[in-house]
Amino acid sequence: MLLGLDVGGTFTDGAVIVDGKVVSVVKTPTTHGNLLKGILAAVDQVVEEVGSRHFTRIALSTTIVTNAFVEGDIDQVGLCIMPGPGMEIKAALPVEPYVLSGYIDHRGRVLNGPRQNEVIEACRQFGSCDVFAISGKFSVRNPCNELAVVQWVKELASPDHITIGSEVSGNLNFLRRTNSAYYNAAVWRHFNIFATAVETALKARGIKAPVYVLKADGGTLPLLVARDYPIEAIFTGPAASVLGIMAMNPTDIPFLSLDIGGTTTDIALWQNGVPLFAEGGARVGGFATALRAFKLSSIGLGGDSLVYQTRGVLKVGPMRLGPAMAVGGQSPTVTDAMVVAGLVDFGNRELAIEAMRQVAFDGRTPREMADIVLRAAVNIISQSIGDMLVQQANKPVYRVADVVHGTRFTVGHIIGVGGCAAGLVPLVAGHLGLTYDLPKQGMVANAIGAAVARPTVDITLRADTVEGYYTVAELGIKNKLSSSKFTLADAYQLAAAHLAELATNKGISLDVTEIIQSEEFNVIQGFRTVGKIMTCRLQVKPGVLMNNKEEL
Amino acid sequence: MDAKKLGLVFFPAFDWAINPVHPEREERLLYTRDQIVEEGLLDMPGIQEYKPNMARFSDIERVHIGVPDIKALITNAHLVSAGAAIAAADAVRQGEVDRAFALTRPPGHHAMRVVHGTRGFCAINIEAIMVEYLRTVYGIRKVAIVDTDVHHGDGTQDIFYHDADTLFISFHQDGRTLYPGTGFTDEIGSPMALGTTLNIPLPPGTTDDGLHQVLDHLIMPVLADFKPEIIINSAGQDNHYSDPLANMNITAQGYARLADKLKADIAVLEGGYSIENALPYVNVGIILAMAGMDYRKVIEPDIDKCPSEPLAVTRAIKSLVEERKGMWTMRERLRREVVAKTGDFWQRNRNIYYDDNGINERQTETVRLCPKCSGYLTIGTEAYGSGFVYKSAFAAVISREACSHCRQTAVDAVYKAKKQGKYQHYFVQNKHEDRLEKM
Repeated sequence: MLLGLDVGGTFTDGAVIVDGKVVSVVKTPTTHGNLLKGILAAVDQVVEEVGSRHFTRIALSTTIVTNAFVEGDIDQVGLCIMPGPGMEIKAALPVEPYVLSGYIDHRGRVLNGPRQNEVIEACRQFGSCDVFAISGKFSVRNPCNELAVVQWVKELASPDHITIGSEVSGNLNFLRRTNSAYYNAAVWRHFNIFATAVETALKARGIKAPVYVLKADGGTLPLLVARDYPIEAIFTGPAASVLGIMAMNPTDIPFLSLDIGGTTTDIALWQNGVPLFAEGGARVGGFATALRAFKLSSIGLGGDSLVYQTRGVLKVGPMRLGPAMAVGGQSPTVTDAMVVAGLVDFGNRELAIEAMRQVAFDGRTPREMADIVLRAAVNIISQSIGDMLVQQANKPVYRVADVVHGTRFTVGHIIGVGGCAAGLVPLVAGHLGLTYDLPKQGMVANAIGAAVARPTVDITLRADTVEGYYTVAELGIKNKLSSSKFTLADAYQLAAAHLAELATNKGISLDVTEIIQSEEFNVIQGFRTVGKIMTCRLQVKPGVLMNNKEEL
Repeated sequence: MDAKKLGLVFFPAFDWAINPVHPEREERLLYTRDQIVEEGLLDMPGIQEYKPNMARFSDIERVHIGVPDIKALITNAHLVSAGAAIAAADAVRQGEVDRAFALTRPPGHHAMRVVHGTRGFCAINIEAIMVEYLRTVYGIRKVAIVDTDVHHGDGTQDIFYHDADTLFISFHQDGRTLYPGTGFTDEIGSPMALGTTLNIPLPPGTTDDGLHQVLDHLIMPVLADFKPEIIINSAGQDNHYSDPLANMNITAQGYARLADKLKADIAVLEGGYSIENALPYVNVGIILAMAGMDYRKVIEPDIDKCPSEPLAVTRAIKSLVEERKGMWTMRERLRREVVAKTGDFWQRNRNIYYDDNGINERQTETVRLCPKCSGYLTIGTEAYGSGFVYKSAFAAVISREACSHCRQTAVDAVYKAKKQGKYQHYFVQNKHEDRLEKM
């Protein structure tokens, strides 16, 4: 019995899955200011409906981290960076960092160590900070400088928490890792207070199930682990819906999904049964981070989007003033148009007709107006879909074969979920000449997704046979290679072993693992091959648990 | 430094090599990729990455005459690399970015108009293809190409040697000490285009100081004088002090400051084979400078190894700059004199060596100096080598603004040669009608 909870802008949804079947669905209002209240109300309702509190697992998708940023409830972070030579990075960071000496080059060689006197000065300057973030260029190739600074900061400032750049991501991109580390440290305290409150409240209700937190990449983390990586819990709402779609529509054929809610429409492109990931990572507060997340295009168009005229031009969204007039709102909305056009049966039809009358021009009837409004809405969504497909086709590739054979993404099918999908998706599909599906439980795809999300973790192993060592940034490992004849196959094997180790550390089991990236280059000195550089990234594949037999 | 939007067409061709241990091999731009990605350059708002498409054969045949056929002499990698240069040109001319850098391989500046094989790691000249594309698609006329590779850009020089609308400036390590052994001060263009080829052969050991002397006192004033509609930089990076194939001492700062001063509309990567110690830093420096961003902290970790400039080198550069300035100032008078002396036709005979294939080419170029138009050119070419099957061709090149009489005479010349039957293949490269015809 899997319980999924998704805290949205309007509703907190709950879903219980038993043997792959949805057995209970609840919807309670989201309690802004105190999210826990709404979450517990949903839990209580579910317990009452299913008559049991013995869940196998509770998975939570919340806006707690997003809200912390929106409300400015974040901590001052002692951000220390080791940029070495290169681009001036300061202006691209959300806060002023303290710049330390120390440089690792692209091969992972220490060219310059950090200096303790500088760290002492940094700690003095950040005297009021309880949390620190430490990040160095090329630390994923060799974490030793970062780890030395961490040790000194611990001794000198004893902060509550330190986020280490090479631990938040194993990928190259110092800028993104630094931003990730900063944001992680900034929300650490806020998230931990929430996590403690959740644990206490569930314990008081006699609920003993382990609690997991959904991540932006569709995986889950045990709450205990999430306490160290709270940034992973941002943007989980759209990820939850995406997983819900995965659970309801297992197919390997490329398609696109539209999650149409009250305020926004999220578009995702799917290939081999999973959505595409955002290149490099998600953006947080306008800053590029290394946070793994689905590639979603979010547009300000939903059922509650305001319909209005400005200088004789009809506008649809992105503003939302309130609910549809059909259910007692003050202003005309897209939902009112859907009601008038007979696409959905919702609220008071007379009030919806009045809404369309308010925006009518040139003597159009409310019915004609409804069509005009819907056509405008469909155009906005279709335009964004088109942009996303073009962007995908123009994605840079670095091999001749990939240019020759192309990476064009073609879709023929739409899956629509979310409260307002039923009215709009058929119109969008018609406009684009695609087929479509509206899964039965699409209205609570988000909660279902949270319930069944499979725990995931990924790892990057890089071996340099000339330098004679390999690194696994996520584990802070830099070890000697056992043999100079180390091959890519050996690298996979070693990566798999370390992935298992990392999974154990994070309290999750290895399920289906897959290679997400691998490359191998010869190193040549003076016209002679002297060794190889290999990189392989392995992950526990994101996915869904559809029966209780699957291990968590 | 004001921020500009830079289009970056990054194409490292990770699956292409001339051969596995050749300097032009898969991982040439691997460490550059690592540095660019690690810096976070691709996430900067002032930098937009572009994907290249494959160039079309019609784009290539606007420049090259392949014997027997260009298709047989190149790979898909060459089409993509030329496509990368074209993508950079489109991004700039469509107004999507202020400048663009095609950080792409394989390179092209040793590839001449007639192609029998690969020379100096180049099979087709990607800058020249881009320049002719710019002229055909965007109607650009006056172009300046500044070749900052350590090797003389002999291919580019060859292609534009008779074209008064293209100013080709190349500084390089003196041809007496380095491949391809050309690029001397007496190579100044054929009579009608006299002065629009400007070679600056620098002594080995030249540093940033010497280079910027040349830039400030020669190249920049000449560019200001020529007033090109567009400036192209053949951005080779092998003048670096750590380059294994040459003997110059330029640093990443030297290159970045060069890019900052030159303000090229489009830069295209050429050579540069210190793939670990130079390219990551030089490329980051050039990208930042072209994007109008702060590049002052891009300094090689082993900068202590860069020697200072010997006094003799500094003096030699100073007098070279003076001599070259003199030529540039007198070029109009020189041109009139030479044209008057030459008569109706100008001819040169050359031996061209294809080091990558061991091919020797013997070539005769004959230029018609027409008083009414930019004339035409005929080329007789024969190529031979051990393990290479002898090939020959005769071609006429009709310039874009050729008069009707020149157009007809050029075609007649090819028919006449074909009748005589001395060559195996016959071509008319008709720039006036934008097509290459096999006769």
